[in-house]
Amino acid sequence: MSVARALRLVTGGPERRAIEAGEVDAVIDRANGGVLLLPEAKRALSSVGGETANGLLAALPRQDYQRLLAELELVALAYGEVIYEPGERIRHVYFPNDAIVSLLTVVEDKALEVGLVGREGMVGISLALGAELTQVRAVVQATGGALRMKAASFHEALERCVPLQRELRRYACTKLIEARQTAACNCFHGVKERLARWLLMTHDRVRADRLHLTHDFLADMLGVRRAGVTNAASALQRRRLIEYHRGDIRILNRKGLEAAACPCYRVVKALAG
Amino acid sequence: MKLRLYVANSAPNSVRAIANLAAICKEHLQFSFKLEIVDVLKFPLRALADGILVTPHLAKLSPQPAAKIVGNLSDRSSVLHALGIKP
Repeated sequence: MSVARALRLVTGGPERRAIEAGEVDAVIDRANGGVLLLPEAKRALSSVGGETANGLLAALPRQDYQRLLAELELVALAYGEVIYEPGERIRHVYFPNDAIVSLLTVVEDKALEVGLVGREGMVGISLALGAELTQVRAVVQATGGALRMKAASFHEALERCVPLQRELRRYACTKLIEARQTAACNCFHGVKERLARWLLMTHDRVRADRLHLTHDFLADMLGVRRAGVTNAASALQRRRLIEYHRGDIRILNRKGLEAAACPCYRVVKALAG
Repeated sequence: MKLRLYVANSAPNSVRAIANLAAICKEHLQFSFKLEIVDVLKFPLRALADGILVTPHLAKLSPQPAAKIVGNLSDRSSVLHALGIKP
């Protein structure tokens, strides 16, 4: 069912506003007594057991993916939820569908973002490289779904599935590139340029132009004070690149934001593919 | 507090609504809530009988006043306000 038809069925009130905001999966057709799925929900549900939204899993041959499915469970990850703390044993790895997870390095009670994982990747890549303990804090940055696998099952899958080994080697390499570039970026580039880059990286991993990110969260991500985030966000807002209101960010001009970001965004994107 | 969340299986906004509601319940309600999740794809007649128009749809059943919140519950302050919880 199209969004236009959904809007015809629901003529007003909060239901209509929610459909317009893209927050609705299904509409109950009272005249015919049925449940009608909106396009994105239909796509997502028709792919359960078949294709997956996660890029690493989607790149596997169908037969390998089907074997992995038995060990994967769908979980909902909520904004702000901490799924790893540094020094903890990795119990699960996560393949995000539409959730986004930030990886932070913690130094003397201060945290700085060193990586971002969305539908293109996996949280817990260090397990594939032989480290049983995590070195980062992993915090959910955008609420959504992810497929989760127990560490023991992951080890077994990795041993038997050559395409999974290949995909994870490639992915580990992109994370290495990203971490190197981020280290230099944090040192050499200003907050405004880094904020623009970070918004673009987030935007690449979600399907919506609207992101929910508080000042405190952004300050932690960029390793700066709240005032620094306020100044940088105001500067981008004045140029009409974004709209920022109480933690809700709307990307108004993607091309303009790319021009405002430091070159690190393009470097990582080009090398990581 | 007694809550009922109507969802469409594991569709993206339904998954988001479950995660957002779980975070709110954990932070603000601890163990003092009862939550029923109704999958309208499995129980369409129930959705019809309960007057549901779209999913996700969260219904606060008790204490009074009853309330409803439509959408993926990502606007936490609106959800808290509708549930009568002080942030």
